[in-house]
Amino acid sequence: MRTLQDLRRDEEELRILRGRSSFISSMLFILFIIGLFKIFQLTILDRADYEVESDKNRIITLPIFPSRGLIKLSDGTIVAENIVSHGIYIESRLFDKVQDQIQILFEEILNEELNLKIATKDLKKDLKIWLAQDLTEKELAKYELFKNQLPDLKLETTLKRYLPHGNLFSHVIGHLGKIDQQERLLFSKSEYSNSSLIGKVGIEKKYENFLKGSSGVSTVEVDVYGNKIREINRIMPNRPSDLVLTLDLELQKISKEELSGRRGAVVALEPSTGYVKALVSSPDYNPNLINGSETGKLLLDFPKEDAPFFNRAISGSYPPASTLKPFIALLGLEEGVINTKTIIEDIGFFQLKEDGRRYRGWKEDGHGKVDLKKAIVESSDVYFYDLASKLTIDRISSFLSKFGFGRLSGIDLVNESESILPTRNWKLGNIGETWFVGDTINIGIGQGYITSTPLQLAASVSAIANKGPMFQPKLVAYVDEYKQHPVLINNVKLEDEKHWKIIEDSMISVIQSWNGTAHNLYDENGILIAGKTGTAQIKSLVDQELSVREEYEGVRQDIKNRDHALFASYGPIPNPNLVVVVIVENGESGSTVAAPIAKKIIERHQRNIKNEQ
Amino acid sequence: MSNRNPLDYSLNRPISSGSSPIGYILKDIPLYLGLVCVLSFGLIMLYSSSGQSSSMVIRQTGYVFFGLALMSFVSHLKPDSYKNILMHSYWLGILLLIYVLFNPAEGYSTSRWINLGFFQFQPSEVIRLILPLSLAAYLCRKDSTVKVRDWFLTPLAALLCSYLVFRQPDLGTSIIVLTSGLIPIYLAGLPLKIITAYFGLLAISLPFVWASLLDYQKQRVMTYFDSNVDPLADGWNIAQSKTAIGSGGIFGKGYLEGTQSQLNFIPESHSDFIFSVIGEELGLIGILVLLSLYGFIIWRIFKIGFSAQSSFERLACCSLGFIFLLFILINVSMVIGIIPVVGVPLPLISQGGTSIVVHLLAFGVILSAKRPRL
Repeated sequence: MRTLQDLRRDEEELRILRGRSSFISSMLFILFIIGLFKIFQLTILDRADYEVESDKNRIITLPIFPSRGLIKLSDGTIVAENIVSHGIYIESRLFDKVQDQIQILFEEILNEELNLKIATKDLKKDLKIWLAQDLTEKELAKYELFKNQLPDLKLETTLKRYLPHGNLFSHVIGHLGKIDQQERLLFSKSEYSNSSLIGKVGIEKKYENFLKGSSGVSTVEVDVYGNKIREINRIMPNRPSDLVLTLDLELQKISKEELSGRRGAVVALEPSTGYVKALVSSPDYNPNLINGSETGKLLLDFPKEDAPFFNRAISGSYPPASTLKPFIALLGLEEGVINTKTIIEDIGFFQLKEDGRRYRGWKEDGHGKVDLKKAIVESSDVYFYDLASKLTIDRISSFLSKFGFGRLSGIDLVNESESILPTRNWKLGNIGETWFVGDTINIGIGQGYITSTPLQLAASVSAIANKGPMFQPKLVAYVDEYKQHPVLINNVKLEDEKHWKIIEDSMISVIQSWNGTAHNLYDENGILIAGKTGTAQIKSLVDQELSVREEYEGVRQDIKNRDHALFASYGPIPNPNLVVVVIVENGESGSTVAAPIAKKIIERHQRNIKNEQ
Repeated sequence: MSNRNPLDYSLNRPISSGSSPIGYILKDIPLYLGLVCVLSFGLIMLYSSSGQSSSMVIRQTGYVFFGLALMSFVSHLKPDSYKNILMHSYWLGILLLIYVLFNPAEGYSTSRWINLGFFQFQPSEVIRLILPLSLAAYLCRKDSTVKVRDWFLTPLAALLCSYLVFRQPDLGTSIIVLTSGLIPIYLAGLPLKIITAYFGLLAISLPFVWASLLDYQKQRVMTYFDSNVDPLADGWNIAQSKTAIGSGGIFGKGYLEGTQSQLNFIPESHSDFIFSVIGEELGLIGILVLLSLYGFIIWRIFKIGFSAQSSFERLACCSLGFIFLLFILINVSMVIGIIPVVGVPLPLISQGGTSIVVHLLAFGVILSAKRPRL
């Protein structure tokens, strides 16, 4: 039984309990009110901010890169396309967990020894580890069979750049490579990802913006791990432009065949438009190996002087040698220093003064009495030493400059070389010496400081072929359906238009005359071609005691010291439709090595034109 | 009274006429209804927050039914009959805490878990309900008034439990264990003089306590004061949780439609952070509904508590009521970022067998305090 005392104590306890409960309650109530206010703040006041925050979390935009534009020839032949390549990868964070799947992949599908070396530091990063690339049809079919056992291995299809003609267009089209830091700064960031491929050289680089198109955007919902859940929206990329080249497949092939791997270059262009019909630099390389569209190893143990990645046609600066003589002759006529009847006595060498240095001609005994025509036909050095000495360097360089020497031709490729058109200032600035008359004399035969690329030479010869107008060399005829119109870069005006004819006639005679340096090309029933041979010396012959031939015999022991063979030509006369410049490094003879190649190209071009009609 | 068979309740049956047999079995229908509503709500939200894993929901449902059965059983016992057991269960709690300290379960960096093979549980989750009950039982021992030394012994007992949890190491839980131990002591009438003395002691010892904290514990506390301290860990969790609740707005994004929760941006979304899933998917409305249900339950607890017959029953009910309320407030405050992250699940909602079963056991104690009115 409860006693009264018990009841009292009960009462007292209850009083304390109630009092203290109210105290705790009020404390907790404050916390509750703060919490409730905070919840109101989150869900009502700041809701919009948090909605944005929440969307930022889950929604990411991914660029969609379009497939690269095609490159074709005017007859529709595809010279650069994209091929599908299948690869299998694994995300690095899963790598350790799926060793059994990797085992199956290698044993059952690839039939290869498992041979993967992956740095542990790579595993910590978030990247794709490629287990296999360029799967064959058979491997792909097997993968489909085993797919259920390989849930974490992912198949990815990528497009790779492929040049069906392999090496043939390597120096024109070029190759792709991973975008580098500098290029990232140059191009819009949204258009390229860190692993994007970008044109590194050639048309691929020059026309990057056209070939790439503009990327689209895919809005994707992702989870906290970045896994794609679904696509919310998609803006399709803009289709890139296709290019149509001016090149001719047949001429390109002949050029490559004729050079047959020797170091050299061929440039053929249409004088009336500047459209390049053939542009070959040899040796070349297979861009597909760099683009990853063909398997195989890129051979890198070539002799240093081969430099297969070097585009000799546009970047190789060579002495124009005797191919410069028609231009010097033209200047002589224009300046009135000579006329067609001017005759000098070629005794095998030229001296400014009685006891001065002897400038030797290539023919030891000389050519005897030489007029302008004979000087070009037989390529008399002495005649041009004499002429140059009277012309002075100022007149020579300003005249040659009109023909594009010393300037970029503006062809739609990268890495074109300006070469050197020497002037007094140029020599002072670059060599640090004043100009000597001896320098001018060497320029007279296209030696000395002057250099030009095969392309520059072709462009300047086209001015002779056109009798004045000179067009910018062009490789791309169409960007999609838009025609790339010829660009007139200069129109050389002569005091006397007849001078063109004089030069052309002598260049025709180089082949036609029995004594012409390229008479070996002569064909009675063939087309009429104007040309000029050249033999560019690499090593100056300085020994005054030995004869030229004797001294050269010593020099040519080293193949690298042998003369370059050049031939600059156009045809057919009277309506030339092709200018061809051929250079064969260390080929020694312009007439027997370089000239036949040019002739074949011009002849083949005529047949092509006839077939088209 | 105490010699009576605890299950010998048939004698009372006729007296409780007027209430239905169901009412007799359930003892307090409104509290039962409230509990069932909250538990169902929890299971539904668990399905969404667990990434729609039915296996987790089934497992949890199992715990719920086990807990309810346990609750019903305890609710029909006489409090006096298990008071002594409760009082001595303190020692069991201490044993468990010492056991985990020396036998940490494999796969955990902190020693919080005991693995029974079929079932893993955290002693610290058990102790935060066992401790107040045992202290309440001790303070209301039969035939004895509270002696002065009890006001020193009981806080010391609470401090011991708290220290053992702190050594796991788990700062948040140790504070919660201490608080839940101090609540019944305070409610039982701890004299104000002694309270003042304790506060003085606390002020002196605080620098030493801070020095003994582990780096990550300091970090956690610091994160609260400056969320830039470690934005990638706790700060990030809180930010994601706030983003979820905020973006849910008034009406929510819809069940299973929460992007923060379904795309795993909310950490521990099925356990400690389930409240942010509720906020995101059901909005302010959902939050208020849940809080109302909780409020209703707490109202019933105190209603039962203040009308209870013995001082132990009153003390136990009120202590448990406050602790239940405290846990809810701590969890919600943590999720909305007004207190640091501590490991307190949302009672009756968060995934976790230990939490559910122990809470329902506590409700069994509360229900047992209700006697049919004469």
